[in-house]
Amino acid sequence: MRRFVQVGLLVLSGLGLLRTSLFTEAYLRYVKEGMRPLLIASGVLLILLGAAEAWSAWRSAGRPQEDGDGHGHAGVPRVAWLLFLPALSLLFYAPPALGAYTASREAPKAVAVVDEDGFDPLPATSPLPITLTDFTQRVQQDEARSIEGRTVRMTGFVTPADGGGGWYLTRIMLSCCAADAQSVKVRVYGVDAPKADTWVTVTGTWHAQGTLGTSSAAVALDGRTVGRIERPVNGYTDALPLGS
Amino acid sequence: MRAVEHTHTGTHAADGAHGTDRADTDGTAGETPEAGARRALPRSWPLLLVGAAVLPGAVLVLVGRSLDEPAVQAWRTVCLAVTVQALPFLLLGTALSGAINAFVPASVFNRLLPKRAAFAVPVAGAAGVVLPGCECASVPVANSLIGRGVPPAAAFAFLLSAPAVNPVVLTATAIAFPGSPEMVLARLVASLVTAAVMGWLWLWRGREEWLKPAARHTGHRPGQSRWTEFRRGFQHDFLHAGGFLVVGAMAAATFNVAVPRSVVDTFADSVWLSVLFLAVLAIVLAVCSEADAFVAASLTGFSPTARLTFMVVGPMVDLKLIALQAGTFGRAFAVRFSSATAVVAVACSVIVGGVLL
Repeated sequence: MRRFVQVGLLVLSGLGLLRTSLFTEAYLRYVKEGMRPLLIASGVLLILLGAAEAWSAWRSAGRPQEDGDGHGHAGVPRVAWLLFLPALSLLFYAPPALGAYTASREAPKAVAVVDEDGFDPLPATSPLPITLTDFTQRVQQDEARSIEGRTVRMTGFVTPADGGGGWYLTRIMLSCCAADAQSVKVRVYGVDAPKADTWVTVTGTWHAQGTLGTSSAAVALDGRTVGRIERPVNGYTDALPLGS
Repeated sequence: MRAVEHTHTGTHAADGAHGTDRADTDGTAGETPEAGARRALPRSWPLLLVGAAVLPGAVLVLVGRSLDEPAVQAWRTVCLAVTVQALPFLLLGTALSGAINAFVPASVFNRLLPKRAAFAVPVAGAAGVVLPGCECASVPVANSLIGRGVPPAAAFAFLLSAPAVNPVVLTATAIAFPGSPEMVLARLVASLVTAAVMGWLWLWRGREEWLKPAARHTGHRPGQSRWTEFRRGFQHDFLHAGGFLVVGAMAAATFNVAVPRSVVDTFADSVWLSVLFLAVLAIVLAVCSEADAFVAASLTGFSPTARLTFMVVGPMVDLKLIALQAGTFGRAFAVRFSSATAVVAVACSVIVGGVLL
């Protein structure tokens, strides 16, 4: 592999990482927030490496290649060309965050089991802002049935359901990167489904099916209102709805 | 990405065209009409011309259209995610390997490691504790260790244990399994035992000729600037391993998108099948070792032993690692070593899991 190609690979990879992590927040489509400093450092390091290689190539341009390429480092295999794919993809054609396609193909994530007296009393605000995970736990585990009759407000994106009516309000969560995405879903009845992948805020009450407070309870909502919202910057979290 | 993919397939097509030129059998080399024109025009040349004009355009349209399919988009996202997630750790590993190569004299390792290779293996395995990172970092480091005179068996023990037993990964495991510290202990023990067994297995059965002769990593040579050596070694290893990382990421993304998670749960019921299934899942999903504990924790339908297997096999054998090893040590090595490691790792996790969990 020629030296200028190596320079190009290093610099483009570095620029790609910087673009995704420093200049935009696109990195949140692929990895978690905590990776940002590492990605920025890697981007800078790659650009420095590229610059050093360019400098050394430029200095030795007049002379025969006596430093380096004589001692076996010229043999960067062709497979390194593949690094252009992620680099250019990050720079010019970044794929979107995972959405309805991924969520529809996965069983919902099993929510953590809460201790018996782990449920605090719900605040009195109505509609009550709640995360999809909390809602699932309240519906299936809270024996005090405090969610009963309450109007709740949740935010997520739309995943079409395959029959049986209704659609899924969905959140995708990561533990590390998009390769280990897991979803939480709440089925919504009674309101028309917006287009798949649209981000919405839904208000409604628990869809009475099964026994509330046990695992037989349906994780579902009788929707009253649906409002479109902008996709949040960090979409891979199960956060409370913004505003009130 | 569209443009690059096209040029990439373009080079392949050109390679193929050279082959058909030499064989001179069929006229399917429609992409290179000028190559044929240099000799004699084939009788069907107008057809070839039309093909040459239409085909690339059609391919471009089809590729462009399919890139916006949700499945392809999900594939690209996962592929890029694996690459982006691994790049900082790969840089760390290749920088470390470059530094070992340029700055650390071989005598240091001879002094630190026991003389007998059989003793050096467990010591090297335990030394894996010091490399904080995931599995991408360990392959280049192990390679440079071999270059510096460390017995391959010891270097492989380090290669296998480092991604699984370092403090970052063990902490992540403790967080992912709150209230069950025995899972952390089981992971530590099973990983160390697997690494040591593989090291000894290499001493017993391993052959040097499976390893690709490493021309580089000759260490510091008089008359060269150490910094230049460091920089060039770092750069070479990064580009080399980075290419294979992309190969592995593509393979992992393919499985990730092709096999929905709901299929996974159908295997949860049978004890033995679930262990084997999670071992295979760890290999094809190629989840980073710093995250696999969280994935394992989420596979709630499975027995603790099966989940332990997932966490022991994952950092030692997965598609991305096999690609990296094939690039660094050669394909002959990667195939044998990975399959043996998978078997040993499953056996160790079942035994350790049976005792501890």
